[in-house]
Amino acid sequence: MGRFVARRLLQAIPTMFGIMLVSFILLRVSPADPVKLMVPSDTEITEADKDRLRAAFGLDKPLPVQFIDFTVQAATLDFGKSFYYHRPARDMIFERIPNSIQPVVLGLLVGVFLGIPLGFIAALNRGRRTDHGIRVTSVVLNATPDFFLGLLFVLFLAIQFKWFPIGSMNVVGVDCTLCWDRAWHLVGPVLLYANAGIAFYPRLIRTEVLEVLGQDFVRTARAKGLRERVVMSGHVLRNALIPVVTNFGGILTIVFAGNVIVERVFNWPGLGRLFFDSLIQKDYPIIQASLVMGAGLLLISYILRDITYALIDPRIKVR
Amino acid sequence: MAAPAIAARGIVRTSEARRAGAGFWSDAWWRLRHDPTTMIAISVIVLLVVLAASADLLADNFFKWSFSRQDLTQSYRKPTLDDPAFWFGADNLGRSQIVRLLYGARVSLFVGFFGMLVTMTIGVTMGVTSGYFRGKWDDVVVWLVSTLNSIPTFFLLLIIGFMFRLNAIVLPLFLGALGWLGICNLARGQTFSLRERDYVTAARTIGASHTRIMFRHIFPNVIPLLIVIAMIDVGGLILTESALSFLGFGIQPPQPSWGNMLSDAPQFYFRGAHLIYFPGILISITVLCAYLIGDGLRDALDPRLRGSFSADK
Repeated sequence: MGRFVARRLLQAIPTMFGIMLVSFILLRVSPADPVKLMVPSDTEITEADKDRLRAAFGLDKPLPVQFIDFTVQAATLDFGKSFYYHRPARDMIFERIPNSIQPVVLGLLVGVFLGIPLGFIAALNRGRRTDHGIRVTSVVLNATPDFFLGLLFVLFLAIQFKWFPIGSMNVVGVDCTLCWDRAWHLVGPVLLYANAGIAFYPRLIRTEVLEVLGQDFVRTARAKGLRERVVMSGHVLRNALIPVVTNFGGILTIVFAGNVIVERVFNWPGLGRLFFDSLIQKDYPIIQASLVMGAGLLLISYILRDITYALIDPRIKVR
Repeated sequence: MAAPAIAARGIVRTSEARRAGAGFWSDAWWRLRHDPTTMIAISVIVLLVVLAASADLLADNFFKWSFSRQDLTQSYRKPTLDDPAFWFGADNLGRSQIVRLLYGARVSLFVGFFGMLVTMTIGVTMGVTSGYFRGKWDDVVVWLVSTLNSIPTFFLLLIIGFMFRLNAIVLPLFLGALGWLGICNLARGQTFSLRERDYVTAARTIGASHTRIMFRHIFPNVIPLLIVIAMIDVGGLILTESALSFLGFGIQPPQPSWGNMLSDAPQFYFRGAHLIYFPGILISITVLCAYLIGDGLRDALDPRLRGSFSADK
């Protein structure tokens, strides 16, 4: 197992290098000149001053040197100060993390705990109405854009029926993370995140359960007289859950994309909102930091996923 | 005696409907024709394509209202049957929503299908060549795939949208450049197993070139799988385009797209809910149809795969 983990970590090094390279090329060698972005176009600024700005940010050095600088800075999570708020980009990102994590984690949990049983129910009722109902619902949810679902939620449940607030994390004047007011505001975002799981897991689990049900070991288990419940929980569910782990990466990428959309629709001050605002404000250091840290986070979760996968499925040989 | 009679009748009936010895494609077409859901989905997409293609014609002659024509006296007008231009109401600037939706269909369908072609071209080329040649080239492709896989694509697209002004031609190119990973993996896996087949060895023995083997012997066998993925891809690309445009980093106004028609949605909450329903529902229907066609094609091309991948993945 130790060798597997070590190997997987080694494999991550060229990937991380690639991520750095893509971010660097995209943000440094692109037609968008950082100095031009930093200085509003209507400001009168001499070329000499622009050159001094470039030198201050190390942008006058040869590109390979810049790339090394960039890598070293990224390794220490030092992405410079926000052009807008003059505070380190890292700090601004770190303080937004808790805001985003709360709805994301809750949403993933709701998605998993609704999606998996639904898939199981569909498989056990194969061909019946329940099965069709669940499949149709999840295909339709899958085909509906997240932002549209969010807008419908606001339009109906928040504006028409006034059950939930239209947006933001707390009522003005209240500031708490674990209280009724927050729970109230969380419903919309959590449901929207959960949608990824509800649209995705039932069909995955259904296919998987049906496949496992046809396997010899299930027949053996039944033949030796095990109770149906034991067969289901011990033999079928256990095996059918493996793809939930392998497909977690897919869900995470959906969450990353969804994060920007959910936080825009519900005006939620999290990471996605920060990223969106910094794009609008052309706040270059934050954009760069978000991209590199987001990719790093995704890479780490892929590694964790692979390790979990190796742990729960002994068929994966430690190569 | 009863059993053989039934069996014989069965054989007669099938051979009436499906001529004996039908080829792979006509066999698939037969199955597709007998799948009502897929046929409905195909008709909806065809209808949308026809409407989108004739958007100019309809706007000039039938609705008599161009997509950019504003009339502030009509702003937030509710859907009405009185005037064809306002069948779906008017937006905040008094522009005809139905005409704008027609032009939006152009963007969505074009981005979906053209983006799919770009994705397919890159993905298949990379996948087939890396699976065929293996070795160093394969290592490079695998590294590219795992790297791009670890970058939050949507972030990247937003950054691209912020640096370049995207239009309906450039956006699918970028979508394709970032979206070929899944197809590459599939094509690569298929090629891995196909290149070991006897007929490929036979082709090599008689001196066929690498290009010829890849084009004539491997590629045709990857196609059935790809057609299925292609339709799912169209749906996914339409969703991505609409999300980008919704956030304001995709198709830029005044060019209407279903996504950017919703970017001012918060303004419409109280005055014009019809401005939210129509574009959103149209996106859902189009994507749903693309997914259903994908599923139908999968069943038609290889019934054994029923329920095993595509939208179910």
